[in-house]
Amino acid sequence: MIRQLLVKKVTHLASIVLSISVISFMLVSVSPIDPVRAYIGADMLAISRAQKEKIEERWGINEPMHVRYVKWFTELLHGNLGHSFIFNQKVTKVISTRFATSLWLMAAAWVISGMLGFVMGIVSGVMHGTFVDKLIRFYAYMLASTPTFWMGMLLLICFSMWLGWTPICCATPPGILLENVTFGQRIYHLILPAATLSIIGIANITLHTRQKLIDVLQSDFILFAISQGETIWGATRHHGIRNIILPAITIQFASFSELFGGSLLAETVFAYPGLGQATVLAGLKSDVPLLLGIVLFSVFFVFTGNTIADLIYTLVDPRIKAGAPK
Amino acid sequence: MRVEIKKDAGRVGTCPHRLKKVVSMQKNNRTDHLKIMIFMSVIIITLSPLLAPGSEKPDALLSVPPHALIVATGSINPEGFDPTQGWGRYGNPLFQSTLLRRDEHMAIVPDLAETYTLSSDGLCWHIRIRKDALFTDGTKVTARDVAFTCNQAAKSAGKTDMSLLDTAVATSDHDLSIYLKHAASTFIFKLTTLGIVPEHAYGEDYARNPMGSGPYRLVKWDEGQQLIVEANPLYYGNKPMITRIVFMEMNEQTAFAAAKAGRVHLVRVPQALAIQKIKGMKRHIAKSVDNRGLCFPVLPSGQKNTSTGLMVGNSVTADLSIRKAINYVVDRQALVAGILEGFGSPCQAPATGLPWDEEGARIQDGDLNTARKILKQDGWQDEDQDGVLSKNGLKAMFTIYYPADDSIRQALAIAVSDRIREIGIQADVIGKSWDDIYKLMHANVVLFGFGSLDPLEIYRLYRSSSTTDDVYNAGCYQNPVVDQYLDQALYATSEKEAISFWKKAQWDGQTGFTAKGDAAWCWLVNLDHTYFADERLVMGELPIEPHENGMNITATILSWKWIDDQTTSR
Repeated sequence: MIRQLLVKKVTHLASIVLSISVISFMLVSVSPIDPVRAYIGADMLAISRAQKEKIEERWGINEPMHVRYVKWFTELLHGNLGHSFIFNQKVTKVISTRFATSLWLMAAAWVISGMLGFVMGIVSGVMHGTFVDKLIRFYAYMLASTPTFWMGMLLLICFSMWLGWTPICCATPPGILLENVTFGQRIYHLILPAATLSIIGIANITLHTRQKLIDVLQSDFILFAISQGETIWGATRHHGIRNIILPAITIQFASFSELFGGSLLAETVFAYPGLGQATVLAGLKSDVPLLLGIVLFSVFFVFTGNTIADLIYTLVDPRIKAGAPK
Repeated sequence: MRVEIKKDAGRVGTCPHRLKKVVSMQKNNRTDHLKIMIFMSVIIITLSPLLAPGSEKPDALLSVPPHALIVATGSINPEGFDPTQGWGRYGNPLFQSTLLRRDEHMAIVPDLAETYTLSSDGLCWHIRIRKDALFTDGTKVTARDVAFTCNQAAKSAGKTDMSLLDTAVATSDHDLSIYLKHAASTFIFKLTTLGIVPEHAYGEDYARNPMGSGPYRLVKWDEGQQLIVEANPLYYGNKPMITRIVFMEMNEQTAFAAAKAGRVHLVRVPQALAIQKIKGMKRHIAKSVDNRGLCFPVLPSGQKNTSTGLMVGNSVTADLSIRKAINYVVDRQALVAGILEGFGSPCQAPATGLPWDEEGARIQDGDLNTARKILKQDGWQDEDQDGVLSKNGLKAMFTIYYPADDSIRQALAIAVSDRIREIGIQADVIGKSWDDIYKLMHANVVLFGFGSLDPLEIYRLYRSSSTTDDVYNAGCYQNPVVDQYLDQALYATSEKEAISFWKKAQWDGQTGFTAKGDAAWCWLVNLDHTYFADERLVMGELPIEPHENGMNITATILSWKWIDDQTTSR
């Protein structure tokens, strides 16, 4: 059973990686950005033709795309993601250092949006049809259609510039060694970007939870409980949450892709030096190895989230396990 | 499923939980509200550490020792600090020392070198380096390190271009010879910018663990965030009075906001924001050769580059009188005042303000009458009374392209277009990405910006060449006399001699590439680089700066100090 699942998952992943890498490579190959020109930038007149050719040779960008793809893929099979043009560093190193910073942001946003969204979904579901429900739904629909970067800019203007409560940028206070940065300072610098990400992430889970709860509350056993004198909140607490927590968790794990994409935008707005910022830079400068490295990484990231969502069903709800008692 | 629910919910009377709710609202009104309140307050309490201002005060600035200068002047080289790969290619590599350097008057003075001579054929530099220089690990800087640095720079394929180097050989601990492939007066620029790296500590990770004999040493680089440096106690020169610097990586807008919030000491701001005031900060202006100008295609249109397939030439701008008239009619002072808020200066040649600028090449600009006269004499007339001149059926119309994300260039292009309209030349203004502009630049007018402290730039801007595949002489300008001067300047064996030829190429009394001569470009303005610095920081006069580059402000950092230092040390 487990082995079957494992084989299925691995083949699934392999096929995704293959197709995503081919598509990405094709997209990059039609990109009009010349990486060497983007790299040299304003130094164009200071660089001789000979030097320019040298750079092209080092990056191996004079070969046709399919040759480069085969080379890149063979290296990938050896576990080598290549060398980033713009950072002059191994792609794996760039991703690992950058992701370490992004992880704080994504984790915070993920937890906050999960908790808040769930609670709001419950409130909205229980009180459905009331003013509170309408308010929450209005909020959720509003946010579901709000672009992350715009929300980020609003918050930045409001809390950092007008009120001065939150820092203006960056992941740590200026001038302090990374190892001396306290947990509090980390959190303090996380507030706004994480809030931006989670405010928007809330919508999804709120609406789903609300809908599920309404379903549950209309089922016979709730009706039975209520007819025996249970309050609606009590019924929700004792019977409702059990039934809706699972889909909520699933949705939250399945939202890894939105989390990844959202952090990209939020990081740009808040000058938060994570993977998102590196992605933008890699795209603007046509840093193919780094861009593809990040694409693959995001594939793994999202795939992991979805797989966990799948597995959690069997873990959290013993009834799903085949043959298990109860 | 969903529809059914909605239907149910609509029929309030029959919906059981709705019914129950109405009942319970009457019965248990209090308890329910209480529960909601508790529920909500639990959420608020759990989240409050995230929502309230943190226990750490926002002004983290105050928590660092006051001697740490916090700077936000632009991005830090994402590749790290390897001079052979491009770090410090504008000079002052901070961690490493250079053989020579330019002083505040642009004169070349020895730094790590003690003496230097150039052979009479201009092919070999003999350099003796000082004996008291140490790398930060305590080992002596030897001629072998210097030779290694030069050879390594020639080998590595980065932004440091040492392709002129043949080889560098150490002849003793302190002497070395640097052989060039051909004589080049501009090579001295490399000697003033190339930071010397230690051979014994150079490796793949050098760029992220730089070691050198410069005034500062690296404390920590959190990539994408900040670079912390401190004074190098082993530095042979005068010890910097600013002993610790933090370079913050922020974009201009964020940096400006941070300065307003009092969180940085020194910030570079766009000209448009420089008119504002920031409490506790003083505005500093650095002159620059960060120039902006229009590059004219000088060949007639309809040609095609055989190797790239790009269109070359533009018959309107190929006409000398058009190019001259535009140069005369543009009011550069008005551009400075109107677009740069006064933070700039008029410029008519690419190196205005540098030692190799020919002041005799200046024209009186903003001159409508002269411009009209030039066009009239050449036979340009408004035949069909539509306000646009024409000659032999050719209308005086062209397009000016500018990089779409650059608001200053956009404003300049529009202002020029408006102005030349007055003398009957129509220029459409279109913003494009650089990648598009590179394809259009040989056949259309482009608003470029360059500006280097290396006169090699003049050579690359105006020297004719058989190939037209790059920004080198994008307009395909060609004048054999100018070519000869440029070659003479490049191959000269002393800077003095070279300067005289650089000047002649601009205007020798007969011809030249400036407005008096062929008017190959219409240079417009040099931008000033504008900074705000903490009032307590004394920076002295800022030297002339090249094209955009975040670290340039540190050129004179050795003479900076805090006002407090003055009072306490006396």
